[in-house]
Parts: sequence; C-alpha cells; structure tokens
Amino acid sequence: MGTRIDAACAQAGNGGRKTTARRLADAAATNCLALAGSNPRDVDMLINVGVYREDNMGEPALAALIQEDIGANLGQPPTGGTGTFSFDLLNGACGVITALQIESGLLGSGVIRRGAVVASDVQPDLQNPRARFLRPAGGAMLLSWDDRLAGFTDFQTETFPEYADLFTSGLVWRERQGIRLPRRGTGNHQMVVAIKPGYQDRLVDCSEEATRHFLRRVGLGMEDIDLLVPAPSAPGFVDSLRERLGVPGDRVAYTPEDLEGTYTTGPIAALQAAIKSGRLGEARNTLLLAAGAGITVALALYRQTPP
Amino acid sequence: MAETQKKQPGHWLTLQSAGTGGTWGCRIESVGVKLPAGRLTTRELMSRTSHHTRIQLERLTGIHERHVVGPGENSFTLAAGAARDCLSHSQHQASDIDMLISTSITRSKGPSSQSFEPPLSLHVKQAIGATQAVNFDLSNACAGMLTGVFILQDLVARGEINCGMVVSGEYISHLSWNAARQIRSLFSKQLASLTLGDAGAAVIVERAPGGSGIDVIGFTTLAEHSRLCLAFPSSLGPGAQMYTKSRTLHKVAIEDMAPLVAETIGEAGIDLADIDYLIPHQTSARAIRAGTKAFVERLGTSPKHVVVNLEEYGNTSSTTLFVALHKYLEEQKIRKGDRVMLLALASGIEIGIAIFTIDSLVDSYGHTH
Repeated sequence: MGTRIDAACAQAGNGGRKTTARRLADAAATNCLALAGSNPRDVDMLINVGVYREDNMGEPALAALIQEDIGANLGQPPTGGTGTFSFDLLNGACGVITALQIESGLLGSGVIRRGAVVASDVQPDLQNPRARFLRPAGGAMLLSWDDRLAGFTDFQTETFPEYADLFTSGLVWRERQGIRLPRRGTGNHQMVVAIKPGYQDRLVDCSEEATRHFLRRVGLGMEDIDLLVPAPSAPGFVDSLRERLGVPGDRVAYTPEDLEGTYTTGPIAALQAAIKSGRLGEARNTLLLAAGAGITVALALYRQTPP
Repeated sequence: MAETQKKQPGHWLTLQSAGTGGTWGCRIESVGVKLPAGRLTTRELMSRTSHHTRIQLERLTGIHERHVVGPGENSFTLAAGAARDCLSHSQHQASDIDMLISTSITRSKGPSSQSFEPPLSLHVKQAIGATQAVNFDLSNACAGMLTGVFILQDLVARGEINCGMVVSGEYISHLSWNAARQIRSLFSKQLASLTLGDAGAAVIVERAPGGSGIDVIGFTTLAEHSRLCLAFPSSLGPGAQMYTKSRTLHKVAIEDMAPLVAETIGEAGIDLADIDYLIPHQTSARAIRAGTKAFVERLGTSPKHVVVNLEEYGNTSSTTLFVALHKYLEEQKIRKGDRVMLLALASGIEIGIAIFTIDSLVDSYGHTH
C-alpha cells in the first residue's frame, strides 16, 4: 500500500506579458486533472509550492485562488462529499518533494483520498534583467492511494546552513527618487535575488552527500536505483551530480530543453519527462531529488513494487 | 432542529481525529509567545491618520492598544523569541525537535521586508539550535499556525516524528501605518489593517502517551470567497497593504461556520456545551460576539467561555490563537481537564477547528511554574 503518482504535468510560460504565476499554475493543474481523467472536486488537498509571483501577494494563499480557478469544491460539497483544503508551502526548489511527503502521509492515514501539488514561478523582477534566473513555468501532480503499490516509501530533507548566504532572495523597499507627485506611491518593493559564486558547485556537493546519507539510511546502493529524477536546479547540475554519483546516463531522467531552468516546477518537469519516456513505468526504484537555497536537498524514493 | 443532532454522512472538513489512520496520539506540549515591548494605543494610531476619519475604532473593535516592534525587531526576531519561550516551558530540548514549520505571513528579516529564500524556518531553527530538524515555511494567512499543527498531527500520529514545532513571527503593524495614510471613513476596505498588532508565537506538539491528545482537527477552504481579503506589498511604505470586504467575510463565515463546528464536535462525540473555552481568531470583539451568537443560535448550545483578548494585543494575525491560549495558561484561567476549541478564520476563506483537552500542559505556566 502506498502513494501513487496519477499524473504529472509541467509546461513553460509562453513569454507573453500576461503570464502570471496564477495562470501558469491554473493551466498546469487543469491539464493534470484532464490527464488523470479526474474531476477537480475529487481533490481533497491542494498544496501550492511556487515561490516567485508577479504581485508577491501575502494573503490569501495562492492555493486558494488556484482552487477557485480550477473549480475544486468552492463551497459546501454535496452531501457526503469532502471539501478541499488548500495552502501554500514554501521550501524553494525543494517544495514539491516536501509537499509530496505531507500528502503521502495524509493519504496513508486516510485523511485525504486525492492530493494535488501545484507549482509555478515567474521572473521575480521583470524590471531588473539581472534578477532573471529562472524560466517561467507551472506544474502539477496528482496523487492517490494504491493498495497494490509500495509507492513513496521514504523521504529525506537535509539542510546545509553553512551555505545559507550563497542564495538569498527577498523584497527590499526602495524610496522613489525625484519629485513626489500627489496620489503616487513613495517607492516600491523590489525583489533582490543574490546568487554568490560557488553556489552551483556547493549544490552538487550537498546533493551528493545527502544522497549517500539517504541511500545508507534506506539500505540501498546507487546500483539499486533504476531511475534518478533530479530537478534541473542549476545549469549543468544534473550531469555533475550524475558523474559524482556514478550513475549511467541511461538511468537519469533529463528534463527537455524547453523546461530547463524552471524553478519550483523542476521536480515535476523531470518527472513528466520520465513518465513520457516510459522509463518511470519500467523502474522499480526511482529516486527524486531537488536542491536549492539553504542549501536544502530533498529526496524521495518511489517504489513500483508490491508493498 | 439543532445541527448537532443531524447525522453527518461525510466530512466537509479535511479531518483528523483519534480514529483516523495513525497509531499515536498527538498533544500540545507547550506554547510560547514573544511580545515586543513597544505599545501603541488605538487613540494614538487614530490621531496619526492622514484624514480626519471620525472612526471610533476602540469602541468598534474593543482594541485599546497593541504591541509594536522597536528598532532591530522583525518577523524573524519575534519568531525566534517565541520559539525560545516555548522551549522554556517545554520538557524538550531544541535538539529533540524533528520538524520546524514557520508560518508567518510577514517574513521580515535584515534588510528584507519580506524574505523568500532560504525559508525563515531555516534561520529560526539555527537560532534556537534545532539544527537537525526538517524545516519549511507555510503560508495560509491567519490560519497558518493551526495549519502547521494539522500537518504535524499526522506526522506524529503515524510515528514519523516524535516532536515538532510550529512558529510564527508577525511584524505586521506596518499595515496599520500604510492604511492610516489612506483611510477616510468607516467603509474603507483597509479598516481591518488598523486592528493589527505584532507578536510571535510558537507551539510544540509531541507524541501523546496513551493515545490521548488532540481530539479532532479539521480544515477546509471556501475558495469561492478567496478574494475577500487580499494583501500586497505597498507602494506607500515598507511592508504591505490589506484590503478586506469585512462585512461579506463576516457574513460568509457566520453562514458556514455553524455546520463546520457541528461536524467537528460531532466527530469528537461531544456537544458545544462541553467546550470550556472557545478561542476564535481575534479580529474585533463585536465581530466575535456577533459570530458566536449566530452559530450558537443555530447549534442550540453554547461553549462555557468565549475568549476575547483584543484589548491588549489587537489582531496579531497568524499568532492570535496561541497568544490567547498562552495568556489564559499564564493567568491560570484554563485548568487541567478543560476542553478547548481553537477556531481559525483566515483569508482564503480558510476555516480550521481543533478540539483538545488540557492536560499537564498547564503545569508549566502561571505562578506554579
């Protein structure tokens, strides 16, 4: 008995001016539901893990807006039905795997019957070209419980706070310069993203270390992993990690070029590639990996074996 | 007919109770609070609005004053302070915490008025020495802390963790200052921003011996009303601005709260009259009284006490429930064996309800501590 992946869908933004994190998430969630042949009202829990939005809205959770947009139990469900519980989870590039861990547990407890994880990001500061470090994209996954499958069996999140200052981001208030006009704001909040030299190298170091810790804990060797599904956390990250771990290229799910550079959507993009190629279906042991600011490395073991 | 007597064929709420899934009970082991020393009276705030509003805010809301941060204080310092206070009331060391969830709406730290990465939870766990804890942030408006408890409850119940902390630090009074520059009348959508105060709160939940603990905890999101309260970064000054359709929000909450409360007490196998202390989200005294009256009329019974602590703190957003619980524990109003209902109401609209019985938690508070 375990949590199974019903569908995964990721898509890049089309680069249009009207691309928003909400629209990207809505589209991904809608397509994912269609792919799984599911009705939005079947979603008991919706966790949004996107980080960078055009408006940086503080509340409500973007997940509530996505729930409304896709039409998942907007009010009281029909007699006997369950509503949808939505919230945002923020763990940078590792958010998808953290959300998978939470929903997998709740599916196992029978608290929910179907869970959705949604991610999306847009460029955090459209005015500042130097802040453009990601590809706008949205992704969604659907999960359910399967009595015949081991599913997600183990999760691990490891942080390396000694590298916390290598990647930082936040809104900083800037006073408007020059003449102040009545009825105009006195300034604005700018997203400042600071990526220091060495971040990408440390990302690989930490990912290798965390992977070895994880495999030791679950009693597996790298040779037992049929498929490695790494999120494309940084340019060249996947190949560097693959070499460090000694994994042959044919056991790695590479994200297609049009989804390279996606951020919180990264793990879903990699998973979608694995599903489309048919390799996820063939793999007994699949290892999902994401790494990002913190430095945080999140891992999940997905086993398509009998429980 | 009172709705408590109706048979609930299914759950509207996403619900966890002693009967669901896990092997273990999950209990609230300690609560901590960090209140900044600075205070701002409602009279002083209203004297500094840009326009002459004629709003009698204190009479409307019951808020006399609120705590506000001073130099060097922000969301992070409030969260870390609350986490330390929580540990001071706990049997646990920081090294016992397996998971730490930060649920602040505001995430100011250092030069950032809103930090995004790394998550604030990483900084809090490092500050208190919970270095081995898995950490992440969660954002669910004013229901954030109870959402964190909901997540930890499942992890504890299944035995995945033994002990977890939910923490929030809300430096949110900047919304009041931004609103004060624009508000002209009682009908302003920024009126609710004038009720806000700063506070940090933290709660430790742990595996309960003997399977006791939180009786029921449930949540749902009424997404058709998701746009009734929106907050965005401001262009008037550092921080945010919040726009709330308060009357509609209040009406919807009253309408939907009664069946959800009925469902929760039904799951717990009790009556509303068995609740010794109902601690609702603290918005305004008038709204709490009207809301409670409405659903008490529909349910046919009432809790013994409804907690309102707005006079001294105002609305401290995601921390209100645990600031109120902490105050009542310290003042020894809540006693061992009392049954408490926490009622979260937040933008989304999020409604969360938890029922638990006070146990040895009280031993660490008040003059006996």
